[in-house]
Amino acid sequence: MKPRVVLVDDHALLRAGVRGELGTRVDIVGEAGSLADAIPLIKATDPDVVLLDVHLPDGGGEGVIAAIGPERPGVKFLALSVSDAAEDVIAAIRAGARGYVTKTISADDLADAVLRVAEGDAVFSPRLAGFVLDAFRAGERTHSDTDLDELTAREREVLQLIARGYRYKEIAARLHLSVKTIESHVTNVLRKLQLTNRHELTRWAAERRLI
Amino acid sequence: MSSMPIASVRRSKDDRVLAGVCAGIAEAIGVDPTLVRLVFTLLAFAGGAGIVLYVAIWLYLNGKGWLAVVAVLAAAGLALRALGLSAQTAAALVLIACGLALIWRRGRSLRPGTPLSVAGLALAAGGVALLFFRGNSSISFLAPGALAGAFLFVIGPWMWQLALERDAERTARIRNEERADVTARVHDSVLQTLALIQKHAGEQTRVASLARRQERELRSWLYDRPSSGETLVGALTTAAADVEELHGVRIEVASGGDCAVDGEVSAVVLAAREAMQNAAKFSGAGEISVYAEADNAHIGVFVRDRGKGFDRRAVPTDRRGLADSIEARMARAGGTARIVTAPGDGTEVELSLARKL
Repeated sequence: MKPRVVLVDDHALLRAGVRGELGTRVDIVGEAGSLADAIPLIKATDPDVVLLDVHLPDGGGEGVIAAIGPERPGVKFLALSVSDAAEDVIAAIRAGARGYVTKTISADDLADAVLRVAEGDAVFSPRLAGFVLDAFRAGERTHSDTDLDELTAREREVLQLIARGYRYKEIAARLHLSVKTIESHVTNVLRKLQLTNRHELTRWAAERRLI
Repeated sequence: MSSMPIASVRRSKDDRVLAGVCAGIAEAIGVDPTLVRLVFTLLAFAGGAGIVLYVAIWLYLNGKGWLAVVAVLAAAGLALRALGLSAQTAAALVLIACGLALIWRRGRSLRPGTPLSVAGLALAAGGVALLFFRGNSSISFLAPGALAGAFLFVIGPWMWQLALERDAERTARIRNEERADVTARVHDSVLQTLALIQKHAGEQTRVASLARRQERELRSWLYDRPSSGETLVGALTTAAADVEELHGVRIEVASGGDCAVDGEVSAVVLAAREAMQNAAKFSGAGEISVYAEADNAHIGVFVRDRGKGFDRRAVPTDRRGLADSIEARMARAGGTARIVTAPGDGTEVELSLARKL
């Protein structure tokens, strides 16, 4: 069954483009151009996945996640943004997005990402994977007062391959694991990232003058 | 400062006792007319100065400027006489005031650098001379101090005001320059790119490369990415941009950790650049992934494409790019280069350097 998707982006042109690219592989049940329109639309349509721009004219995409998340745990969010600046990426993930991709992603990769998120897995762009590796490494350096759950060696390996531009299937082949296992590693990393003390990530970002 | 209240004074038509001058002033400066009338009445007791001043302002408001000036001077003289000053002192002070007024009128301010009125200077100097050499004994002791004090009171706040204005002007100028900078950098470059894209609408690769370059410029400007070669990631980003430009490919740079560039690190950057260039030229892939990681002990850079790959043994021996520019360069820097490839399977170049800190 095709996942039901809502598109939230203030650029109608981009929505049309994404609709054209995803058209046959997912079922797009609604579009919204603002935070105010998105919230009732998502509540009414109850989609599997919301493709969410992190910058909306009336607030960040985090606002949509915060308004919907607690009420509809079944709705998953995939952040789609033109900005892959660390603070935007981290903010979207911290708010509860299941993944982050940039708008330059190819149609096939975007469709894969939507399907993967619909199944409850996580999707990391190469840049996001790099940020996460760096953030967790920063946590190790200041080990005494860190709340960062450490990454396992395997999780680190998977993240590094994502950062190097490998697809899940390629990672699975390289590590002699199943795609399902790779997905569960990434999902675990996402969980650790979302559970991690906010302060730690903020400091990591501040250290790099990202905020 | 530009809107002197005097400029907006109009004789009041509907609230007048004599000619409506007091009410007009009150309106212009926003106080009760009775207060202004009281001031004029009090001044009238100072040797009749108030009456003459009233006439002076009335003359001014009727367009008789020079007569008004003479009347104001007369009023000032009368007031000073009434204060008990000698005729000479009063005349001296009036001359000084008159001189300063001329200077101000000529240059619109007393700031250094504005044109000076010679007549004004002469009048002021004459006034000062009169004050010191012809004044009676009691005044000659008092006058310099009083004059200095008065001067401070009048000029001090004004100078302060000028300094504040200059700061405000500077802030406004900086803001304007910033706005102009944004306009220049964003709009000009975007508009130029759009114009180029329209011209080359038929050439797909050219359009893609133009759009890509514009995107990169805007991105580095908006998000302040390291665009210079000061850090490993910054230098790799610059190298990637060059290769993108030259070969019309797309290079995504991701990073987990960064470090400053020294001699060995720049060897890694050059080797990585060569790897990007090879991938762009030979792999046939449209997109190349670059990932850099750096911590205190180790630097790693990965350049990967999903292109056609190659068989190392089949590479002609005269093609030295891989051996010289990548492997030998890394070896000289004390690091290693590993090339993972097979026909049909893409290529990944892994550069690795241990850091001695």
